Amino acid sequence: MNDQVGGNLKRNRFHALCQSLRPDLLRFAFWLSRDLALAEDVVQEAMLRAWKAQDSLLDEGAAKPWFLTIIRREYARSFERKRLVTVDIDELVAREEPTLATTQADDLAELRAALFKLPDEYREPLVLQVLMGYSTAEIAAELNLSNAAVLTRLFRGRNHLRALCGEDTRMDPE
Amino acid sequence: MMNCADYRRAVLAGPRDADPLLRLHRDGCRECLEYTDRLLLFESRLERAMRVSVAAAGDARVVPLRVPAAARASAAPGGLKARRGWLAMAASVLILVAVAGGLWLAEPHSSLAADVVAHMAGEPQAWARTDIPATAPELAQALGGAHLRLDPKAGMVSYARSCQFRAHRVPHLVVQTEMGPVTVMVLAHESVSKPERFDEQGYHGVILPIPGRGSLAVLARGQSPSPDMLKQIASRVQDALVWTG
Repeated sequence: MNDQVGGNLKRNRFHALCQSLRPDLLRFAFWLSRDLALAEDVVQEAMLRAWKAQDSLLDEGAAKPWFLTIIRREYARSFERKRLVTVDIDELVAREEPTLATTQADDLAELRAALFKLPDEYREPLVLQVLMGYSTAEIAAELNLSNAAVLTRLFRGRNHLRALCGEDTRMDPE
Repeated sequence: MMNCADYRRAVLAGPRDADPLLRLHRDGCRECLEYTDRLLLFESRLERAMRVSVAAAGDARVVPLRVPAAARASAAPGGLKARRGWLAMAASVLILVAVAGGLWLAEPHSSLAADVVAHMAGEPQAWARTDIPATAPELAQALGGAHLRLDPKAGMVSYARSCQFRAHRVPHLVVQTEMGPVTVMVLAHESVSKPERFDEQGYHGVILPIPGRGSLAVLARGQSPSPDMLKQIASRVQDALVWTG
């Protein structure tokens, strides 16, 4: 009986944790994969792995990076499970149009399409920084890069993105 | 002293970087200040662009609702896909509840609130809990452009700056209250029809209409002060605004 109560408490706690983190984790997986269906599968599988390995999460405050690491590994596994064909970026943008569309009056859709065009090596650190609030050191640890390499990628990524969006880049450094 | 190219390279890598060396250069270089303001506007858009709507897609497959059952079933024969059908059915009632909550939580309640929060995140140094007030010239410079002054009854202002926000310069103040620092932005160019509460990314606050004068955004970080207390502080600040033009 006590075991059942304890199990329910544990389950509810994990449930609440997943519920609170899920929107951002799904967004992260989406920008990683540029495919909402794949992102959902990756997050789903990652949550299951996390549930099974929850005893290794010692501090709930560290849950977000813990989940992110699992998601990145799960995404890498998705490459092992199936052969991914090369897809034209414009086709990719068209396929994900419902997700990229915005009802707001500004030009977020254009910016989202530009993000799709950004090479993976620039997009991932940028998403970790802007969406997930990671510091340079945390990105470096997650991507197994030096701090200097992360800063270079962030700089080039933003530079590239701004140019794709037609921003005035005349004052940007080389 | 850092040169402009190094400064811009650094802010392109991290526009919200609170490094004092960057601030020192920015404060002494008008071109780089304007460059940073433009970059922060872009950054705000970028952040909103990354927050794609995932509520509708995600709610059909609310993972946490299914995790315990899935974990129990993991020892049973059959793959994950085979389990998905009945799990989805079993979770359907709970999903109905989750849809409403998910939709509410996943998206910013208004783009104005989202922009205010994005702007706050860019000035972490403003949030310091301190008993050192902003100087009179700092306060005058922050408020003067908006034809405003602030009556002392608002409380002690520890940070005052005129910031670029949605293509306008707006006063950005931090008032030290008994419950901690509270940020105030006077948004003369943004109107709301009624008070709008928001709770996003660790910030909570309220945007109050100021009849004929736009609106006032008041927000805090973390759980304190409570929403009711924050509303009281917002009213106090609103009462302390004196329009000079």
